[in-house]
Amino acid sequence: MTNHWRDIKNSDLILINGANPAEAHPVGFQWFMRAKLDPQRGPGNGGGAKIIHADPRFSRTSAVADIYLRIRTGTDVAYFGGLINYVLQHNLHHAEYVTHYTNASFIVKEGYGFTDGLFAAYDPEHRAYDTKAWGYELDEQGFAKRDMTLQHPRCVFQLMKQHYARYTPEMVSRITGIPQDDFLKVAQLVGQMGRPDKVMTIVYAVGLTHHTTGGQLIRSGAVLQLLLGNIGRPGGGMNAERGHANIQGNTDHAISWEILPGYLAIPSPGERTLDDYVREKAPKKLDPNAWNFFGTNYRKFMVSLLKAWYGDAATKENDFAFNYIPKPAGNSSWMSIYDQALKGKMEGVILSGMTATSIGPDSNQVLQALANLKWLVVMDAFPTTSSEFWHGPGMDPAKIQTEVFLLPCTHWIEKDGTFVNSGRWVQWKDQVIPPQGEARHDHWILADLFHRVKQLYEREGGAFPDPVMHLTMNYKDPLRPELDEIAQEINGKNLVTGKRLATFAALKDDGTTIAGDWIYTGHYPESGNLTKRREGVQDPQKNDPTGMGFYPNWAWSWPLNRRVMYNRASADLQGRPWDPKRPGIQWNGHRWVGDVPDYPPTMSPSDPKAWLPFIMTGEGTGRLFSSTMIDGPFPEHYEPVESPIENPLHPRVSSSPVAFLYDKAAGRPNRFGTAEEFPIIATTYRLTEHEHYITQQVPHLVQLQPEAFVELPEGLAREKGIKTGDMVRVRSKRGEIRVRAIVTRRLGQLDLGGTKVYQIGIPIHWGFVGVSAELFPEKSQHWLANSLTPFVGDANARTPEFKAFLVNVEKMA
Amino acid sequence: MAEHFVKPPHWEWYILAYFFLGGLTGGLYALGTMLRLWGTAEDEAAAKVAFVAAFPLLLVCPVLLALDLGQPARFWHMLIDTTPGRGGIAFKYWSPMSIGSWVLLVYGAFAFLSFLEALALDGRLRGGLGSAIVRALAGSGGRAFNIIGAILGLFVASYTGVLLSVSNQPIWSDAWALGGLFLASGLSGAAALLAWLTRYRRGAEATEARLARAERYFATLELVLIVVFFVNVAGAGMLSRALAGPWAAAWALVVVSLIPSLAARGGPSIQVASTSGPAAVARAAGGVSHAAVLVSVLVGMLLMRFVVIFSAQF
Amino acid sequence: MPQAVGFFTDTSVCIGCKACEVACKEWNQLKGNPPEFRGDSFDNTGKLDAQNWRHVAFFDKVPEGPVATGNGQAWLMFSDVCKHCTHAACMEVCPTGAIIRTEFDTVFIQQDVCNGCRDCIAACPFGVIGFSEETGTVHKCTFCYDRLQNGLTPACAKVCPTQAIQFGPLEEMQKKADARLAQLHGQGQTQARLYGRDDKVYGGLKAFFLLMDKPEVYGLPNEQNAVLPRRNNRPGYLGAFATAVLGVLAGLVAFRERGEVRRAEEALRTGRTDKA
Ligand SMILES: Nc1nc2c(c(=O)[nH]1)N[C@H]1C(S)=C(S)[C@@H](COP(=O)(O)OP(=O)(O)OC[C@H]3O[C@@H](n4cnc5c(=O)[nH]c(N)nc54)[C@H](O)[C@@H]3O)O[C@H]1N2
Ligand SMILES: Nc1nc2c(c(=O)[nH]1)N[C@H]1C(S)=C(S)[C@@H](COP(=O)(O)OP(=O)(O)OC[C@H]3O[C@@H](n4cnc5c(=O)[nH]c(N)nc54)[C@H](O)[C@@H]3O)O[C@H]1N2
Ligand code: SF4
Ligand code: SF4
Ligand code: SF4
Ligand code: SF4
Ligand code: SF4
Ligand SMILES: [Mo]
Repeated sequence: MTNHWRDIKNSDLILINGANPAEAHPVGFQWFMRAKLDPQRGPGNGGGAKIIHADPRFSRTSAVADIYLRIRTGTDVAYFGGLINYVLQHNLHHAEYVTHYTNASFIVKEGYGFTDGLFAAYDPEHRAYDTKAWGYELDEQGFAKRDMTLQHPRCVFQLMKQHYARYTPEMVSRITGIPQDDFLKVAQLVGQMGRPDKVMTIVYAVGLTHHTTGGQLIRSGAVLQLLLGNIGRPGGGMNAERGHANIQGNTDHAISWEILPGYLAIPSPGERTLDDYVREKAPKKLDPNAWNFFGTNYRKFMVSLLKAWYGDAATKENDFAFNYIPKPAGNSSWMSIYDQALKGKMEGVILSGMTATSIGPDSNQVLQALANLKWLVVMDAFPTTSSEFWHGPGMDPAKIQTEVFLLPCTHWIEKDGTFVNSGRWVQWKDQVIPPQGEARHDHWILADLFHRVKQLYEREGGAFPDPVMHLTMNYKDPLRPELDEIAQEINGKNLVTGKRLATFAALKDDGTTIAGDWIYTGHYPESGNLTKRREGVQDPQKNDPTGMGFYPNWAWSWPLNRRVMYNRASADLQGRPWDPKRPGIQWNGHRWVGDVPDYPPTMSPSDPKAWLPFIMTGEGTGRLFSSTMIDGPFPEHYEPVESPIENPLHPRVSSSPVAFLYDKAAGRPNRFGTAEEFPIIATTYRLTEHEHYITQQVPHLVQLQPEAFVELPEGLAREKGIKTGDMVRVRSKRGEIRVRAIVTRRLGQLDLGGTKVYQIGIPIHWGFVGVSAELFPEKSQHWLANSLTPFVGDANARTPEFKAFLVNVEKMA
Repeated sequence: MAEHFVKPPHWEWYILAYFFLGGLTGGLYALGTMLRLWGTAEDEAAAKVAFVAAFPLLLVCPVLLALDLGQPARFWHMLIDTTPGRGGIAFKYWSPMSIGSWVLLVYGAFAFLSFLEALALDGRLRGGLGSAIVRALAGSGGRAFNIIGAILGLFVASYTGVLLSVSNQPIWSDAWALGGLFLASGLSGAAALLAWLTRYRRGAEATEARLARAERYFATLELVLIVVFFVNVAGAGMLSRALAGPWAAAWALVVVSLIPSLAARGGPSIQVASTSGPAAVARAAGGVSHAAVLVSVLVGMLLMRFVVIFSAQF
Repeated sequence: MPQAVGFFTDTSVCIGCKACEVACKEWNQLKGNPPEFRGDSFDNTGKLDAQNWRHVAFFDKVPEGPVATGNGQAWLMFSDVCKHCTHAACMEVCPTGAIIRTEFDTVFIQQDVCNGCRDCIAACPFGVIGFSEETGTVHKCTFCYDRLQNGLTPACAKVCPTQAIQFGPLEEMQKKADARLAQLHGQGQTQARLYGRDDKVYGGLKAFFLLMDKPEVYGLPNEQNAVLPRRNNRPGYLGAFATAVLGVLAGLVAFRERGEVRRAEEALRTGRTDKA
């Protein structure tokens, strides 16, 4: 989230796309309701914020939304694109903001173009773009050229207008299925949000990410928000509701293969030295007034990380052991792991806190992949569909050689440590109960494992032992590190003074500082663990002095306890809040006050050298146009890989031209179906009552939703003779499930410019392990929702396309 | 239009049996008393049969009631308030179950004494106790005792219907006539039972005929109350529920079960009633045996209660 | 004397998350019933009973078509609970006095007094009370009597994320409800109404509701149907009394011989006696 949960109460208009917060984030949803109930909020004359929910299904969120729009899954770029077009055509954008706070004025270099669904510089053979072709026109000093009148035909603003002119209400309706009139009603509300005294938030979650176009789906919303001047402002922003209680913390600490802690990039082959690395990876300063904070400090953050990890072994002379960091040549995202196993190139896998079999995609392939392993370690508190995978559908235990180890782990309730919520608040929690049975903490298991590997290296040597031999384990008991110790290490310290640091501004690239994750520097300064702070609603006057819900002494949020990111953009060029009733930060003549400023605290806005508001980017502005995405500088609508129609915008390039097709690349047969054979659109999602697969072990929750089911629209059910409670078979090219039917008008038909299609909904929560599975051992073999989903992912992040695929449905005898 | 959103209390077989026996015992005691009050000397034999029969039937009732409780050992909580700090007796005049519990207790005492008296009079209870009771219950004091007992008996036979009405269950609470209906059917059942029992007593033939006549009246009364009941139910818009599925047929059987009583021929009084409608039926039926009447009436009585109890709950 | 407490349950902001249902079970250590797929919208609990003292009901009235207004009026969600009636039918009929009114003006079943007669089940017009085979007694929401006694908010209200269940002094709740109703009416949502806020149903409910449709739609008796069992005491007993009178008259007619008959009979008898 650019903003945070509580901040949603400050909004006038709440767009929810690809998220079902009432069900997946019910506690956070209270803030949506507060905005709705607050008569000060709302478009027009207020009377309560309006909630607009676009979703394939009328869900429990829709149930309290003001407007529900049935949208075809995977088409939100068209929806946001249509809104962008509406705003531009009607001149409803926030002009001052767009001119000064975005890259609208930046001139794109010649050669950029977009024709027939393809951006410039496409290489069909490798299914890839040369993103360098999408740069700016630079002057002699290497700064981008700008036209502050926004009239230059190649300035971002004009290119953007041109790009989105195709997203007419008629086109939006043809792609999304939303009737034009209703789309226009929404557009009129959204159009009001470019006024400085109004503010809108966009909230999304995996309904946008689980697509081959996931990254661009989200970017299209962010672009709309930049146009309306809503980024950086309280009540605004582009807000991702994150997943598991601590998935934000996971991401911050590099659970993804392509990053190091603090979103430093993983080095690539060819980057032999730290210099190479920083040159390639750090953002470049593109405007004289751009601070380019990240780019400028990239080296300091990296060196401090290397020093934290390798201690004395990281010296100036050896480039701070930069060569200890792997430089992967291939992709190591989730699907790639199982792809490798399918190819027989993966010996073993350790799963901790995740059940590969259930989470898919294409669980039949994943099961096969697990069966190809030599060994599988599952670290969990419960048996999972992975630790029991040989009991899965189509598995013949006699033929499986995989040796499976189940290591009992403690659950979060059995350990202390922090959860980081979607709003980046790092909150310490205590251990509630001692570890049960023989359960051990994950970090103790890993420490022990590391220790034994190290001993092996000591005894037997090896090809490149240094990264293992020199890894620091500076804990009281290296076999049982405490989370408090790890938190201190993450915070970092000055090695000369031995004191923990209060800000990442103090990090150095000379090897005298360490920081396990620079964005967390300051959460555990010398004064103590700030994530334990709980100064909240006991005394709102004192604890929330601005009244904007920042509560600065409640826990700690990264970066530097800032509650709204990019908050310099919440004030105009002179430093006055766009909306005095909803200030983020403001210049009081001497310094910036309000939230922790995303800006030098005493930098006067009238200083000609004053930094541009977006301190992290090379441009110093928000990016309407970006060369950092591998699938295009402007979000463009592409069809899901399995789609019932051809892309109305450019039928010849219907789906993403750069999505990675694993099966094809590995020489395995294609596992995609066609609309002829599988005419129905399916999407998968969560229910309030369950947390993925783990709650299959919780009787109270199993009682609330005891059995796998699909939701079918009335019309479709009528055609197929299906009634609520019937058993149905849902098939895709990849597999099938056999589950109960719930027939409802909450789902329905879409009219895509004359083509009529149905969407059905499949909750993800069931498998062959858990309380229900024990009640129905036979039935539960056919409960894995991911038996149906395609083995393909987002072009940028390779997140699987869980949310849009084709199926067929039939009633079972 | 009544709409109900209650849950059924799951009063089933024990309650059905209790309602049935409650109707019989109360009816018997009342009949015994009436025979004593208005009958001839030879009716005394039948009266004694009634008193002798009433008590054992009653005796089963609290047992059934206790067994129906979720906590049978706490049956006495009906009588004594066990709320900590409160104590005293538990009595609520507005709760039929509360009054019913007390009446059952008090009626039990009456029925017991009358039972002993009847045994003593028949010489089957010898000794001081027997004669003491006979002495105590002789004369107008005894009559008063019987009258109070009969009032209690009538209450026992009828309050069960009121108990159902004083709820929010569909059908039950829609019909205030249930108390009367249960009483009429209780009297009719008791009359049939007594008539049958008196057959085994010498010198009670005349009573038998009179009982048959009473039986006819009670059955007529019951018929009328069934009609009132259905008027009640229809007024609340619950007719379709009351007659749903098997229940319509069951009600038809209940009505049919009354025909033998209406048709029964009873001694000298036949002329008196010969012009009335039921007598015509009786002539058509050509007279029916006591056993047939008895079986039919008792089955009907049970069935009626069964339909009322179960049709509202399922 | 502690003051009367109340629940104001605002169905227009309920998101059907069932947190209240689960929190109630957790706090009160209720196991719940064996899992059973009912597929009644998203409800698989079905009803209030001895294991479910809160129950979130769903009424799917979403219109056909690709757009809709939510606002709590299309897919109705209703967190049902004991209403803690001012005139409580359950309490009225209970023969043992197990059901009492607490110092918080709530209705409470004393487990050590109840003997499981189930008269209260037959009486509660909302189908709230359930019988437990295990304890042999009946159960329902206690209004978290134990929590109230310790100054805590009832578990269900505590967890409700949207504050659809609001808890506090009754009068304060009533004021909040009035304000919320005015707000909704101001927004043109005139179908919104309060149920049990005033004394028209059972003298007022301590757990009252803001509904977005007619009470019947939620399975609640409307004002005409919100009647107490005792209404049938008088007609019931009168009916029984009338029947008793008629029955006694019938007995009189049947048993008391008219003059001639009796005389004839007596003559007969005397004759016989003479002969003997
Ligand atoms: N109760 C519960 N809460 C959870 C979880 C859980 O398992 N159970 N899981 C947690 C985790 S890990 C995550 S990642 C989050 C996920 O939170 P959400 O993303 O909110 O959860 P989903 O149910 O997967 O998907 C949200 C909605 O996206 C819709 N949708 C699908 N495709 C599209 C599309 O193309 N466009 C639009 N506009 N909508 C689309 C679906 O119909 C669904 O209603 O939830 C977290 N919270
Ligand atoms: N079709 C489809 N598939 C999906 C999705 C979808 O929307 N549609 N959503 C995807 C998303 S966003 C997600 S996040 C995944 C979720 O998938 P998973 O993360 O696999 O699901 P969970 O059941 O939440 O958690 C996995 C395991 O973590 C264990 N666990 C909990 N705490 C600890 C701990 O402290 N230590 C250890 N070692 N184990 C612990 C639990 O016991 C549980 O077995 O599913 C993905 N799959
Ligand atoms: S489960 Fe936890 S993280 Fe998720 S909404 Fe509830 S309280 Fe928040
Ligand atoms: S709702 Fe039912 S159980 Fe609750 S107080 Fe009222 S009558 Fe009694
Ligand atoms: S079941 Fe218990 S609480 Fe209910 S009426 Fe009988 S004794 Fe009273
Ligand atoms: S008040 Fe307590 S007992 Fe009643 S429903 Fe709420 S949590 Fe359950
Ligand atoms: S906890 Fe609140 S929002 Fe959730 S179902 Fe219960 S009443 Fe509704
Ligand atoms: Mo997730």
